[in-house]
Amino acid sequence: MKKFLNVITLGILLLSACIVNATPQQDKEDFQTFFTERFPQISLADFGDGVYALDQDARDQWEAMSDFPPYEDDLERGEELFNTPFANGKNYASCFKNDGINIRQNYPKFDSKSGVVLTLEVAINECRATNGETALNYKVGDLAKISAYMSSTSEGSLINVVAPSKGNGLKAYEAGKQYFYSKRGQLNFSCANCHLQNVGRKARSETLSPALGHPTHFPVYRMKWAGFGTLHRRINSCNKQVRAQPLVAQSETYKNLEYFLTYMSNGLPINGPASRK
Amino acid sequence: MIFQEKTKKHSVANTKPIKSFGLNVILAGFLFCAVSLSAHAQTESEANNAISEAQSLWDESIAAGHEWNTIKPLVAQAKQAFRAKDFATAISLAKEASAQSKEALVQAEYEKTNWVNNLPK
Repeated sequence: MKKFLNVITLGILLLSACIVNATPQQDKEDFQTFFTERFPQISLADFGDGVYALDQDARDQWEAMSDFPPYEDDLERGEELFNTPFANGKNYASCFKNDGINIRQNYPKFDSKSGVVLTLEVAINECRATNGETALNYKVGDLAKISAYMSSTSEGSLINVVAPSKGNGLKAYEAGKQYFYSKRGQLNFSCANCHLQNVGRKARSETLSPALGHPTHFPVYRMKWAGFGTLHRRINSCNKQVRAQPLVAQSETYKNLEYFLTYMSNGLPINGPASRK
Repeated sequence: MIFQEKTKKHSVANTKPIKSFGLNVILAGFLFCAVSLSAHAQTESEANNAISEAQSLWDESIAAGHEWNTIKPLVAQAKQAFRAKDFATAISLAKEASAQSKEALVQAEYEKTNWVNNLPK
């Protein structure tokens, strides 16, 4: 009997070790399967619409509003800023592959030179620094507008974040994964508690959106913000809602989280910028 | 005349107890001042210690990556109360901040291994 119990305990321990040490590919498969099994009527691509994929009434209102998107002016301004030359005569296109067009789906990526995750927002500010310009605010304003314009040029392209297989890239991915699943704040909630385990249910009056597809539509124009905000601004708000101290936008922790979260949505089409409540 | 003499006698007879009573009151006053000054100093030092402990535990929770956004305002309010010499409030707020930081640290420690319970099943 004792031997039998030992074998079972060992089995459980091995199984947990396998789950924790799953490869990013296995993680993604489990992650996407969870959502497609929970909502079999929703196609993989539609998860990019967030709560509007789950709630028909909200979707109808959202679609009606999308006839005249509230972000049009800001998006045009983003295009203008993107094409405006720096003081040295160069522009953003000079810093990116394919002149910065249709590249959003490849970000974030792990930069082995610097040993950290490179998000599109950081790449935009690095481009500015290279050309002697000052850095822009990472959460709002011109940077969010430029990033939104760049997202719009990727519309329909499938997210294609490269899976880390070893070294610091894998460590960054694992750190992002742990952050996503760890409970924090006075309310003791993890990202997964709301956006995975309780997806589609209500938190007060709000339907909880699926984590699958979160990164497809950022920067987002939120009515509450009356403007564009980046993914890190939204994560910041989530932290506050569970009474955890938010981190600085583009901090290593948030970048790692974005890396994990975007990799989980690999294969979904970019559909940003989008509007949200 | 007789009445005046009686009164004089009476007042002379009561001078000693009155003097002794006055001295007692003064002594009691000094004692009270001394005790309250010492209590005040003790409370001030208690408040200072409580704030130092709250600050230190708050720093620990930040280092553990599990800072709660409710702690910072408590520490700030405790410091404000200390500056206003409201030591009792300062102690109470600092103790609440410490208690919350301790809970945040327990959370950090627990989540080191238990985050896996939130993986998709």
